[in-house]
Amino acid sequence: MQKYISEQNLNTLIDTLIAAGTRVVAPRMSAGIPLYEPLENSAEMIIDQLPRRSAKEAFFPVCEEIMSYEKEGQQVKINDVDPSRFPETVLVGVRPCDAAAIPVLDAVFSWDYKDEFFLERRRKTTIIGLACTAADDACFCTAVGLSPAETRGSDLFLTPLNGGGYACQSYSEKGEALITTNSNLFSELNNAAPLPLAAPQADKIDLKKVKSWLDGHFEDPLWDGIAVRCVGCGACAFVCPACHCFDIVDEGTEKAGKRRKSWDACGFWKFTHHASGHNPRDLQPKRYRNRIMHKFKYYDDKFGQTLCTGCGRCVRICPVGIDIAAIVEEISNKEIS
Amino acid sequence: MPLTSQPIDTSIYTTITAAIRSEASRLFTAGEVVAIIGYAAARRVGSAQPIIITNAADAEKLIFTHACVNNLAVYLTKAKKEIPKTGKIGVVVKGCDLKALVGLMGESQLKREDLYLIGIPCNGVLGSTVQPATALTTESIASKCCDCNSHLPTGCDFVPNVALPPGLQMESRYSVEIARLEALTPAERWAYWKEQFAKCIKCYACRQVCPFCFCEQCLCDRNKPQMVDTTPRPAGNTAWHIVRAMHLAGRCAGCAECERVCPMDIPLNLLNRKMAKELKELYDYEAGFEVNDKGPLTMFTEKDDQSFIK
Amino acid sequence: MCDTTNTNIYLPYLTTVAEVIDETPDVRTLRLVFQDEQIRNTFSFRAGQFAEYSAFGAGEATFCIASSPTRRGYIECSFRSVGRVTEELRRLEVGDSMGFRGPYGNSYPIEEFYGKNMVFVAGGIALPPLRTLIWNCLDLRDKFGDITIVYGARAEADLVYKRELQEWQERADVRLVKTVDPGGNGPEWDGKVGFVPTILEETAPSAENTIALVCGPPIMIKFTLPVLEKLGFSDEQVYTTLENRMKCGLGKCGRCNVGNVYVCKDGPVFTAKQIKAMPMEF
Repeated sequence: MQKYISEQNLNTLIDTLIAAGTRVVAPRMSAGIPLYEPLENSAEMIIDQLPRRSAKEAFFPVCEEIMSYEKEGQQVKINDVDPSRFPETVLVGVRPCDAAAIPVLDAVFSWDYKDEFFLERRRKTTIIGLACTAADDACFCTAVGLSPAETRGSDLFLTPLNGGGYACQSYSEKGEALITTNSNLFSELNNAAPLPLAAPQADKIDLKKVKSWLDGHFEDPLWDGIAVRCVGCGACAFVCPACHCFDIVDEGTEKAGKRRKSWDACGFWKFTHHASGHNPRDLQPKRYRNRIMHKFKYYDDKFGQTLCTGCGRCVRICPVGIDIAAIVEEISNKEIS
Repeated sequence: MPLTSQPIDTSIYTTITAAIRSEASRLFTAGEVVAIIGYAAARRVGSAQPIIITNAADAEKLIFTHACVNNLAVYLTKAKKEIPKTGKIGVVVKGCDLKALVGLMGESQLKREDLYLIGIPCNGVLGSTVQPATALTTESIASKCCDCNSHLPTGCDFVPNVALPPGLQMESRYSVEIARLEALTPAERWAYWKEQFAKCIKCYACRQVCPFCFCEQCLCDRNKPQMVDTTPRPAGNTAWHIVRAMHLAGRCAGCAECERVCPMDIPLNLLNRKMAKELKELYDYEAGFEVNDKGPLTMFTEKDDQSFIK
Repeated sequence: MCDTTNTNIYLPYLTTVAEVIDETPDVRTLRLVFQDEQIRNTFSFRAGQFAEYSAFGAGEATFCIASSPTRRGYIECSFRSVGRVTEELRRLEVGDSMGFRGPYGNSYPIEEFYGKNMVFVAGGIALPPLRTLIWNCLDLRDKFGDITIVYGARAEADLVYKRELQEWQERADVRLVKTVDPGGNGPEWDGKVGFVPTILEETAPSAENTIALVCGPPIMIKFTLPVLEKLGFSDEQVYTTLENRMKCGLGKCGRCNVGNVYVCKDGPVFTAKQIKAMPMEF
């Protein structure tokens, strides 16, 4: 179904949803930076900036309670967290790189054991994607086979039109339903041309070739070369739309507390450190190698997907200028023996 | 901040780049250093990244531009020991970076004779390299550069012979912001920091780039006992940032790397500058100028302020 | 088994500590009984599987299930107190509550071992992952040929399951060869003196129709595999278990991988052939 929605009607849609008790998450300014956060009203939404963190946190929050405990003498009482408490949510203005990462994450959270914290939110969320009309030279979605008009992961997809408003295409029943229940806000698409989309910033990389090189180069001087600069923080993983490693910790007192799941990063030395003192990834090059391997080989081996959508956030924020796009390009240019 | 942004002259950086390259080449040829830590251009337009070179041929890779923001001292401290330590190391330093080296020497983390310091006459660098292709202006310049008192590093082994263009008068953004916060009520101030710390995602970029965060194992990475909650939540975030600020008081010389690298834009150097201001007022001490054996918080003199004893 | 649909996969079962056994000065075995009667009656697992054990307030730690699946009604774990969680688990007393999440991971393909001779080679604290299978085999004794156990530790005091070693030693249908590193033997020591690989070579079990199961510190494994090879064991005949830092145990949290192999899902039991195909990252 393809429709037209004006900017004003999009705002009305957001305000109507909020009034009806739906959680609407969209880019908004939060203590000076753009983040995907629940809106209080449509006026808070900003669509001209890529949020500092990706949309994954709408499904996989930075930190969340997975249970709580209370101790009384020798007895312990465990309180479950009921996933059905997660609110119906509409995510608005999601960039193609962020939306495309969500189905990638579905694979890990739904294979074998089902992580209902992720999956229940996923079921209850409608994603409204938004085509990109601007990009910078850190963006490389086109290198990993996506584009500023990529609709993967979106239930509804908005393309800004010349003269204002958006072409709105639905890609799922959820998207369809949102249009149907708010049909007064949508109209037939006229013949207005879409605004020019962001120009591609990077040439398509042959990811199969990258993977075949990685298959044979667990040991390679490349890793030392890159990671000698790496300072071992977790910034790249935390701003990444596809990184999903997490920690589980108990926090509280002797008497009561909560067990929490929170974002973790393979760049930290502590990530794989055994209590015995042994650490299989004891040096930064091994940790950085794992980052690249996980994204472009291991995840592909396991789930047939690439764990990178080219959003460029890690490139922009790396304290020491490590540029994953440049690394993957370098790998793609290597001779495969 | 001035209402209109004015361009800042960075033309000397071209001359400086040429001078660094020829000096680096000379050093390797003469066998005076085994490695040089400097800056090189990277893929993105205008960007620069740290590089460690070990031979004269690579000297051509070295650059200095207003995107050369990193404090390379971090590559010399204990926690990041993957750098060759088999001989004298050359380091490219701006005045602000040098202060960190001076502090590290004072704390016996480095020896002056192990380093060959290539000082940079610096007219300022970018505040953020999220978009490196940004011209240097009174607006885009790093806050630390606005009230810089060390444009020309002293005591280096080599400093390119260039004349610094006359500096523009810029208001000290930190002083303004500290004054603003000091004028708030404690509750308002608390609300401000609470909002800022709420953004923290515990990526520890601030810790990892800090030349002074050289503890072999950070208190926050220890769990016996778990002093600071690890999850990015208000309690653990606040605890971490307070621990950090206190641990750096009297040591931090204001390279502001913590603030630059924070992906969530938490004004971390503001805390550090406030600490520095307190230290200046209480002990007339300013970090980073002399190789002191002990900072004011690690020694006692009878002249020390006792007013906290009530 | 944990239900895999529509439930909180991170939620542990509650168990009660039924028995505390000190194996060595720093290794302790806990016997746990599920508090929920239904789970107590229906819970089952296979030898080789592991679990997440929680000390509430400290967190979870990963160990194998050390008891045999043939012994119903309880499970046992043995651990050395080295970290925050294990120190907290060590403070638990009989009657205290503890969390248990599992069983997870693959297991020894015991049915494939029927009719074969079994050689168990273990070092130090690494006996628990084999003990589950040893008892499993002993409880189904007529399904197996000869059973040989070569077990060593640094010193006498470091040998775990001492009462069981005694029992195995006394049984006619088990050959137990116990050893301590040179210098680790006291005046009463009735076993061998020497490193496990050396003693294994000396013991020289036949490789014919035999499965070898090896568990120990990396250095022991490193020197044991060539000995087995020398004795004629192929890499398919040799099994081991890996341990890596884990948090979820469910193939999600991303830290236990060795290359593209998730120890929590694809392991912890691997053949030597599989281990040799992995990158050196464990």
